[in-house]
Amino acid sequence: MLKVQNLTKVYEDGTVALKDVSFEVPDGQFVAVIGLSGSGKSTLLRCINRLIEPTSGEIWWNDTHISHISGEELRRARRQIGMIFQHFNLVDRSSVLTNVLSGRLGYINSMSSILGRFPEEDVQRAYTSLARVGIRDKANNLADELSGGQRQRVGIARALMQEPQMILADEPVASLDPALAHSIMRHLLQINQEDNITVLCSLHFLDLVQQYSTRAIALNEGQLVFDGTPQEIDDDKFVEIYGREAERIG
Amino acid sequence: MSDKNRHGRSRLSWRTVLIILVIFLLYAYGLQVTKVDLQEPLEPRRQENLVSLLRDLAQPDFFSHDTETRNTAVSIHMPCPGEIKGTQVTIEGREALMVPNCATTTQDRIRISGEGFQPNADGVLAWRPIGATTSRRLADFKVSPDGQIDVTFTMPDIRPTEEAQKIEIVEILSRRITGLSDTTMEALDKIVETVLMALMASTIGTILAIPLSFFAASNLMRDVKAPLAGIMAGVILAPIMGGLGWWAANSAAQPLLGLIGQNLQFLRTDLGFFNFIGNFIFVLLEMMMQLLPLAIALIGALLAVSLGGRFGQQAAMHMAEAPARILTFALTIGGTAVLFIIIAYSLNWINLFGIREFLPEATAAQIKLFAIPGLVLGGIAGLLSLRASPKYHYAIGILIYTLTRGVFNGVRSIEPLMMGFVFVIWVGLGPFAGIMALTLHSMADLGKLFSEQVENINQGPVEAVTATGANFTQSIVYAVVPQITPHYIAYIFYRWDINVRMSTIIGFVGGGGIGFVLNRTINLTAYSQASVMIIAIAVVVTILDNISARIRSRII
Repeated sequence: MLKVQNLTKVYEDGTVALKDVSFEVPDGQFVAVIGLSGSGKSTLLRCINRLIEPTSGEIWWNDTHISHISGEELRRARRQIGMIFQHFNLVDRSSVLTNVLSGRLGYINSMSSILGRFPEEDVQRAYTSLARVGIRDKANNLADELSGGQRQRVGIARALMQEPQMILADEPVASLDPALAHSIMRHLLQINQEDNITVLCSLHFLDLVQQYSTRAIALNEGQLVFDGTPQEIDDDKFVEIYGREAERIG
Repeated sequence: MSDKNRHGRSRLSWRTVLIILVIFLLYAYGLQVTKVDLQEPLEPRRQENLVSLLRDLAQPDFFSHDTETRNTAVSIHMPCPGEIKGTQVTIEGREALMVPNCATTTQDRIRISGEGFQPNADGVLAWRPIGATTSRRLADFKVSPDGQIDVTFTMPDIRPTEEAQKIEIVEILSRRITGLSDTTMEALDKIVETVLMALMASTIGTILAIPLSFFAASNLMRDVKAPLAGIMAGVILAPIMGGLGWWAANSAAQPLLGLIGQNLQFLRTDLGFFNFIGNFIFVLLEMMMQLLPLAIALIGALLAVSLGGRFGQQAAMHMAEAPARILTFALTIGGTAVLFIIIAYSLNWINLFGIREFLPEATAAQIKLFAIPGLVLGGIAGLLSLRASPKYHYAIGILIYTLTRGVFNGVRSIEPLMMGFVFVIWVGLGPFAGIMALTLHSMADLGKLFSEQVENINQGPVEAVTATGANFTQSIVYAVVPQITPHYIAYIFYRWDINVRMSTIIGFVGGGGIGFVLNRTINLTAYSQASVMIIAIAVVVTILDNISARIRSRII
């Protein structure tokens, strides 16, 4: 269970990215985070695993007070939360296998990871994760030899290595064509349903939101303006979320 | 409107005239200061000198020769007696006529003609001035196919004497190359030394630069923050653990060093041709043993900073406000005092204040002496530390970044030639001084270049790896290192290339390598030998330039 209370983020240049955002996510939900570019979606997701320091407010993850821990505790909390990125964020010059194994770093000690030694079961787990997203045969390729869709699947495999209880997906399909986008979203949905992993996924297209998510929350200029099922987003709500000039395309 | 415009334009052109005037004055003054003189180079004497230098340079002393010559001497008077005549000599069928047989000024033209010389032979006219040890070359000639010669020359310099002096007509009867000259052998020897100097300097410089480059990368250091208690605990522990490490490693290394010296001497003497390999292993072992205490001390200090930092951070974050405040206060007093003692001790060591002779010599006594002002200063710092919350995280990373960057830029701006000069004074003449100078410069230069590569990486993977729960070290190894490795390798080769070029001149200040010999030959005016050195440098630099360019283009 994720609980966000009065979360506010003000950047050093004075930009207010999040303003008093509060919501709860019970385990196993597939939550879409929607809103215009710059509405605070990425900041929200990054505050949850503390890649960005919140200015004020509380974040609870199960019994962990995520907003107030540091060092080893933060590391242990982070490894339960997988993350997937718009630009995949793979290490291009490393092999796919190494990229996937790096999802395990939170579990193994510094010394053996510096030497590049992973336990045998982690290597097996990496192959299993790759098989699950359908690219087991690419394990020994360099990451930059892969196509966009394949790269995002490596990203998912890396997140799966963490045995996460929640996955944060920051516009995972924004750099992909519609066909690939659906394939990636199906993988996320499958993980959500089979492993009961909570998914918090920011999305641009409403048809994807309606097709895959069970709940949507919307941000506008850092404020929570909508929280409900995707079906509840009618034309009025749409204008409220995206502003008057926006035109519904999906 | 148009009036305003015209006003603006006239002011602009007025300013242009002023700028042109200033530039004109600048160049006029520059010409005077730099003593540009177009008369001097055109003087015949200067041009003679230049020609003779260029001729020597164009005849590099590559080979040793076996030369058979035949001399025919003709007498010359300086200055001319009252009556000017010619001289004719006949030796073994060779006839030579010199008209006139005397010279009063360096402008007097003298002609030697003759017959019966070896057809087609090359030859020179040589004059050995009275009291000189070497002959001077007056002119070159070539014998005609029917054995005749005809040369005209002037005396380069008039040395008046009572009796006649000798001009030798030297025919080169035969000339065979017998092998490489000593100069060539020396050049080969020294160019190998030069390349290896560059290699050593680049290697050690790289090893030092890699860890330091991370400290000089703003994107990594920006997020390194710690509460004051952590920083100060690190500062207090670092010299203690560093000193302990030094002491322990030193007491272990010294006997080992003795053992190596006694039992492994055979490596240097008993391996015949492979002595140089044995010597390499020996020197390597010796160097490791010498450097071991330093390395252990550094590792100990780093460990202390990390441990102290963690302890201080945990304590400050988990304690209640009041005890955390007291802890921070106490640690700040101690830390400041330690910093003060270290700085005061080092400054006194180089005798910056000129008071070294008034202070006790022993380290312990000095520490005791500096402790009181250190504690007073610490007390002030401790009181100041109370102004902020003990949980406040200070951006210590930025301070480390600024210091490292500052050192890199400072060291980089000093030419290796200057450093070579300092190291020659410290470790004596020879390639070792050169290696140390180049190492120091390489370290600073590579450190800066490396850190810029770290700053230019794609932050995405770092973010992703951090999000998996990786710690700082792991995120560097898995997200930063793969991105920077190819650039690092390219820079290492580039630096080796630079070091080869620099080590060719570092010998001018006594730093070993081919520059040392080049300097010597130039000072002895043995230009045809210097020419061999210059050519050797050019060849090696060109080859390495090519290799390094090829490797770099393949990697990036």
